[in-house]
Amino acid sequence: MSEPENQEPKSKAEDSTGINRRDFFNEVAGGAMGVAAVGAGIVTVKFISPNVLFEPPSSFRIGPPEDYPINSVTTLTDQLTYLVRTPQGFYAETMICQHLGCITAWHPNANLIECPCHGSRYKRDGAIVRGPTPRPLPHFAMRLMPDGTLLIDKSDIVPMPQILKV
Amino acid sequence: MAYPSREQWLERLRNTRVWKSVFRRGPARTNRTRSLAIFGNLFLHVVPAKVREKSLRVRATYYLGSFAFFLFIVLTVTGILLMLYYHPAALEAYSDMKDLRFVVSNGVLLRNLHRLAAQTMVLVVFWHMYHVFYRGGYRPPREFNWVVGVVLLLLTLFLSYTGYLLPWDQLAFWAITVGTNIIGYVPLVGHRTRFLLLGGNIIGENALLRFYVLHCVILPLLAGLFIAVHFWRIQKDGGLSVGESEERKEPLSVEATQVEQETVTVGESDERKEQL
Amino acid sequence: MSEKNSYEVGFGSDAVKNPQRIVFITKKTSAKVKGAQPRQLMSYPHVVLREIIAFEIFTVALVVVALFWDAPLEQLANPLLTPNPAKAPWYFLGLQELLHYLPPVVAGVLIPTLVVVGLVVIPYFDVNIKGEPLWASNRRRRLAAFMGGVAVLLIVFGIHEAFDVVVPTVAFAALALAAYFAPPQGGRLMRYLRAQPLSWWIMSWFIAVSLTLTLVGTFFRGPGWSLVWSWR
Repeated sequence: MSEPENQEPKSKAEDSTGINRRDFFNEVAGGAMGVAAVGAGIVTVKFISPNVLFEPPSSFRIGPPEDYPINSVTTLTDQLTYLVRTPQGFYAETMICQHLGCITAWHPNANLIECPCHGSRYKRDGAIVRGPTPRPLPHFAMRLMPDGTLLIDKSDIVPMPQILKV
Repeated sequence: MAYPSREQWLERLRNTRVWKSVFRRGPARTNRTRSLAIFGNLFLHVVPAKVREKSLRVRATYYLGSFAFFLFIVLTVTGILLMLYYHPAALEAYSDMKDLRFVVSNGVLLRNLHRLAAQTMVLVVFWHMYHVFYRGGYRPPREFNWVVGVVLLLLTLFLSYTGYLLPWDQLAFWAITVGTNIIGYVPLVGHRTRFLLLGGNIIGENALLRFYVLHCVILPLLAGLFIAVHFWRIQKDGGLSVGESEERKEPLSVEATQVEQETVTVGESDERKEQL
Repeated sequence: MSEKNSYEVGFGSDAVKNPQRIVFITKKTSAKVKGAQPRQLMSYPHVVLREIIAFEIFTVALVVVALFWDAPLEQLANPLLTPNPAKAPWYFLGLQELLHYLPPVVAGVLIPTLVVVGLVVIPYFDVNIKGEPLWASNRRRRLAAFMGGVAVLLIVFGIHEAFDVVVPTVAFAALALAAYFAPPQGGRLMRYLRAQPLSWWIMSWFIAVSLTLTLVGTFFRGPGWSLVWSWR
């Protein structure tokens, strides 16, 4: 009863910096646990982000330019890509709606690309006609390979007016 | 000698050493043993030993919280049973659904039950929240339990949503496509979060496996944990908050006739410090 | 052991840092609160039995419904073909409906975050806890603020032509105005409405809007997210 609890020995631990030993060790222990927690978090995030993805390759060939008539839109369903040939040349754009990832459909009569999910509409060249989509359809880089076939690289996004002249 | 009746058998059973060793009490006849039945039991000790009679009336709560918990139990049982026939792989998941329908005995019933219970649980949890709101059940000292309830609401939605992908049909695939693309719009961390959630850029094998683990392990464990906290806090915060508005109408009377108060300041005077 | 020392016990753990404490010592009796004690029952068996009975009835009902109501199963997932319309689970259709009108950052991120934060902070606002009727005092100023809020909402959702947000909002504003201008001895509905605090108005408006959005999204949206009558 007469012995007070939690009496810290004051004068002993207090040094010139004003930090006593107990506080110092508390800080060190707390800091170490913080560092360990951050480290564990980083390790976990690294672990759950896969390094190898078994996803379809991003570039593919679509045969010679002669296969595609001028002023046509070809739907390459397997690659989710529209191939458009205008009098000036070729361009390719994604079929995936930039709003929430639904697959759009080309309506030749209306001359429009429509998304079934939330009603977004695009022009043939991917420009927005009506929302809610926030971005136009991105265009993919195209190349004419030495063997005379066309190549589309979906990992290479190019600005809209770029057209491959053949 | 007549055979003992069923009641007498039970009575004898309850007085055996084994029974008492399991339940830590004899027959629950007195208020003391009835209290022991609650707080001497790991599963029941989170609820109070005594409740107000008002809080048991159907119109007080409609037992909505209980129903949400029942649904959680039904979902756990049916979910574990369904896991026995399910492979979280893109090639097999859908054919497992077909198997459940055409091959497995009572497969249709189990899947129907799981789905129905999941949809009902979302409904009941929302209803529960609105009910608590309109009865003012969030008022102090129950603020934190309301927050726990909001967490449970979110967990219920996530559980239902992750389960949505598992049949791997068109309904599942496109609902998850739309949902996970929303995550991509979160500023700064959106794309990274989506990548981690799906285990890739598209919804494929990795996404299915991750949703499976979330749905069957991580989220149910979290939900169980928060449900336990939710129940326990009901007890700690003074029972269900029913009829409180009525109670407040009756003014509290304080009986202070016999009281003589004396104020004393206690502390270490300077002289005492010197003594130390 | 002096008599004085015994007072220190139990008044905090750190007597060195905070030596000043005030203690009330009563000589004879402490103050008694004579509140009406509500009748109490033992949880065992009263609660346990009721819960078991409720569980049994509920589970039987669930099984009966599950026997007759089949869970849907559509075609195998096909990443190359979006069904038209592609709908989220029903409890997210309100959100999907909002996504149709508003930019995704707003409808998909900002609004859900605000809703969750709004729900969490409900019990930490004194306005909610006191529950003073909205039109009880400060009527002029509150009316101005209320109408200002409604106007902002109507402008934001009106620009995006979100009719199924605008309609319930207008209906609620009309109800609130009716409660404001109703004579003190109005009908039962008006008396009820006038007694409601701000939190009641906000939550009820939120429920009405989310219900409308969910219903429209579930029953009245067809191919290309166009308005259809589901029974035709």
